[in-house]
Amino acid sequence: MAEEKENKSIDQISIELIEKAAKDGVNTAFDRAETMKPCPIGSVGSCCKHCGMGPCRVPLPKGKEETPEEKQKRRGVCGATAETIAARNFIRMVAGGAAAHSDHGRGVAELFLAVARGKAPGYEIRDEQKLMQVALDWGIEIGDRSNQEIATDIGEKALEEFGKQEGELITLRKAPLKRQEVWRKQGVTPRGIDREIVEIMHRTHIGVDQDYKSLLQQGVRASIGDGWGGSMIATELQDILFGTPAPVLGQVNLGVLKKDEVNIIIHGHEPLLSEMIVAVAQEPEMIELAKSKGANGINLSGMCCTANEILMRHGVPIAGNFLQQELAIVTGAVDAMVVDVQCIMQSIQTVAECYHTKIITTSPKAKIQGAVHIEFNEHDALKSAREIVKTAIENFSNRKGNIYIPDQQTDQIAGFSHETINYLLGGLFRASYRPLNDNIINGRIRGVAGVVGCNNARVKHNEGHVTMVKELIKNDVLVITTGCNAIACAEAGLMVPEAAKEFAGEGLAEVCEAVGIPPVLHMGSCVDNSRILIAATAMVKDGGLGDDISDLPVAGAAPEWMSEKAISIGQYFVASGVYTVFGVTWPTTGSKEVTDYLFKDFEDMYGGMWAFEPDPIKAAQLMIAHIDKKRKALGIDEARERVLYDMEMRRELE
Amino acid sequence: MEYKIEKKKAPGREEVEVLGATFEEGKPEGEDVGKWRQKLESREDKLKYLKSGERYWFSEDWFGSEKRKNPA
Repeated sequence: MAEEKENKSIDQISIELIEKAAKDGVNTAFDRAETMKPCPIGSVGSCCKHCGMGPCRVPLPKGKEETPEEKQKRRGVCGATAETIAARNFIRMVAGGAAAHSDHGRGVAELFLAVARGKAPGYEIRDEQKLMQVALDWGIEIGDRSNQEIATDIGEKALEEFGKQEGELITLRKAPLKRQEVWRKQGVTPRGIDREIVEIMHRTHIGVDQDYKSLLQQGVRASIGDGWGGSMIATELQDILFGTPAPVLGQVNLGVLKKDEVNIIIHGHEPLLSEMIVAVAQEPEMIELAKSKGANGINLSGMCCTANEILMRHGVPIAGNFLQQELAIVTGAVDAMVVDVQCIMQSIQTVAECYHTKIITTSPKAKIQGAVHIEFNEHDALKSAREIVKTAIENFSNRKGNIYIPDQQTDQIAGFSHETINYLLGGLFRASYRPLNDNIINGRIRGVAGVVGCNNARVKHNEGHVTMVKELIKNDVLVITTGCNAIACAEAGLMVPEAAKEFAGEGLAEVCEAVGIPPVLHMGSCVDNSRILIAATAMVKDGGLGDDISDLPVAGAAPEWMSEKAISIGQYFVASGVYTVFGVTWPTTGSKEVTDYLFKDFEDMYGGMWAFEPDPIKAAQLMIAHIDKKRKALGIDEARERVLYDMEMRRELE
Repeated sequence: MEYKIEKKKAPGREEVEVLGATFEEGKPEGEDVGKWRQKLESREDKLKYLKSGERYWFSEDWFGSEKRKNPA
């Protein structure tokens, strides 16, 4: 029995809390994943429920090759083929993911504009430099204008991008010139962020687009509108409002909870409210109130991507990633779990009812039956934040005796925005990606991998993430990460500089030691995958590694993906020219044609393509093989003889 | 930020002025650890930094894949 439970996570703390949940009679995602198997038809994209004549199931025949006649008959009632159905399902996932990221971006833009207009007390423009940067990017006049005036123009321009009907997104200008041409040639340059998502919903309605290639192209278009549009706008404007991340020390895992303090966990994805909660929790009146209730203070921690946001900017500790949200409540020590949007399990309310935890929903878009709802009002954010913190404090005295906080947490260094990496590699005088490119060219660093994504209860918690990342860094591949992968890596101790010595290959370790960075760089939350796109673009522009992202020795992965957002992220990585490997399961295997198109044909069209490999070691090896392929194409696969040039040889060069 | 200028003797020349160290002395502690962006104080400094540090997008003064010294 104990062995079976141990197999659910590689993280000892999580294992202990899964055991406690079982003892307490609490049902968790780990239990539900065991008792309810995924639908074998839906999981391969062979079920269509887009109209009332269905759901239609068109699975591949089991255990035998399909004859042409059988394939001809494998259709829905409307005649839609397995290809059309698989492609429809796939791009609806892209639409869901792109909508989630982009609606996040829209929310940030709305707040940003309110701040610029002086209608959001409590917020301010904290990073004038990023304000200038975005103004230059978007062609907004700086001159002698005030920050408020510039920010007003930026906010209005940002909001226009969501509803734009024609032309090109303004944020696409950041991409390498060659990549922009690829998108134009393929006809996938997004016109407006919302438009491409809506068009997916139209095309996938019964009786509209019934050519799987055409459907998948629209998926590409919407995903570019996510990564290079909605997500990028979210990241840029959040940086202006809350500060561009810089290196910061933080702690991670459920051991960050404190028995003698009011524990508030902020869970979800948006930093808008959480920034205010961070400020309010430090107010002397709140600390006094907590003391009056018998607590020694207020202890904030984060969960999922809200955690990444407040860690990156304030060093607020992270309690855990997606599959640890129920386990945090199982400690019995969480006085309030404050949630905003995305990746919040409905079951946290059920688990909370077994203890004393109050679940506080804050977004009008994301309510949970039974939870306390304190709506976040951007025009009076401090008031919302104070009400939330007070609710948590009042709940401290309701704790039951059944408390267990594991006595373990891990250090991590986070805050590696593109701007910070650039600065760390060259300093203020000449910030640059040159040292990174040089070390890739000389072979100390073999390549760069962006490993991101969720947890998935169908596989052992954190195993895919940590195993893959260890394999990559062992082979001198520098890893940049966001989201739940970042939290998994931090829990495994991979995000401190000394991890390079223990886990990285000799060449990568040398570079990490010289620069003073970990071998795995935390770039933020899932909208911050846009930072990875910018870092890759800087590598291209700096020179020596080709003319486009698809020329770089880089790869992407999401070894434990589960959300539609992950599919959208993967799709815009691929559309940007990155070879991208997903683990766990693949949602189009019900159609060989669709899968081949994504896995093979996309390489000719975009220079990047999808792959599926559930074994994290094999997946890492696929990524390394791709990196080596790119190194060979660049002519940097073999070490060259070093020649010391004397003055005469130098003159000849002229 | 203010750059430090140091005077040094150059071979075959009188004293010359060179740019001094740009790093901060000592070990940063507390709130300041890692916060490099605050070193740029004025708007002019920030714009100047963008032109050099983020030159890939905001300056003509660089060479790379999209601006080659020797066109391929």
